[in-house]
Amino acid sequence: MNTLIRIAHLVTSTGEPPRQDSQGITTKSWILPEKAEMIYGILAALIIFALLIKFAGPTIKKGMAARTARIQKELDDAASDKASAATEAAGIRQAKGDIGAERQRLLADAALQADAMLADGRTRLEAEVAELKARAIADIDTARGRSADELRGEIARLSATAAERAVTESINDATHQDLIEAFIQKVGASA
Amino acid sequence: MSDARIEGYARALFEIARAEGSLDEVEDELFRFARSYESSEALRSALTDEMIPAAKRQAIIEDLIGGKATATTTQLVSMVVGSGRGRDLPAIIDQLVLRASSAKNLEVAEVRSAVALSADQQTRLAAALANATGKQVNLKVVVDPSVLGGIVATVGDTVIDGSVRTRLDQLKARL
Repeated sequence: MNTLIRIAHLVTSTGEPPRQDSQGITTKSWILPEKAEMIYGILAALIIFALLIKFAGPTIKKGMAARTARIQKELDDAASDKASAATEAAGIRQAKGDIGAERQRLLADAALQADAMLADGRTRLEAEVAELKARAIADIDTARGRSADELRGEIARLSATAAERAVTESINDATHQDLIEAFIQKVGASA
Repeated sequence: MSDARIEGYARALFEIARAEGSLDEVEDELFRFARSYESSEALRSALTDEMIPAAKRQAIIEDLIGGKATATTTQLVSMVVGSGRGRDLPAIIDQLVLRASSAKNLEVAEVRSAVALSADQQTRLAAALANATGKQVNLKVVVDPSVLGGIVATVGDTVIDGSVRTRLDQLKARL
């Protein structure tokens, strides 16, 4: 302590003689107090520090521990959140991948169904076209046959009508008599 | 009309005609009238229409055959039509002809021709049919223009068809 005071005295000393104020109080340094004052001051400071350490220290320590714990908790929460976020991100990435795969699967299924429907439709269409073609050919054949039959019938009718008319017009009295005589001779000869 | 009733009317007409002594002539006239009756829709309608009074139907008969047939024939037809049996007149007359032919041991030979046959032709045809069927025939000639030419003879169930009509029908069938 003395050494410190001495050092302080040397630092603050201007080499001038101690000055005296208007009230007759004499001071040796313009910055340092007197020795006794410093001792009391230091002792008071130490006492205050000791009291502070004794009474406020636990509270401060507890507060610091609580703060440390809170910070740690926040760090832990942050880490947990980070892990959750990472997990969720992984899930999202996986889901995204799954959605992509599902989309691909759906597209593939749709393409398959479209191909199947197209093939089925083509097959059915070809069958219907074939059936219509066959029916049309049958109708044409029937119509052709009917037309031929109708034509033959009409020709036969016209021929018969013409023959009847020709025969009727050609039969005169002499022909009638010839036919009657021929009938009588034929019947008479048939016994 | 039942067969018994037709037979009854035929027997009555037969007896009347025989009693009058003109059976052959009446039979022949009735036969020709029956064929005319069958071929004329208007005549059938007039003689079978019950809305027309019997007297008027009998007057139609009188107008139709009064001057052309014997009085017995006219009266017999008038009697049948007046009694409301006009619809059965052909059947009654056919039965009468059968009865008359049977009485003479003859078979009825119905001959259809487009033109009338001469007496000589009828005689020769009757002989030819008798020769062909082995039966003596009572020839009944019907002038039927639908035959067109030639003759169709029916003796019992036997039909001898030499008509132009049938030949045309055969030709039509072949066509």
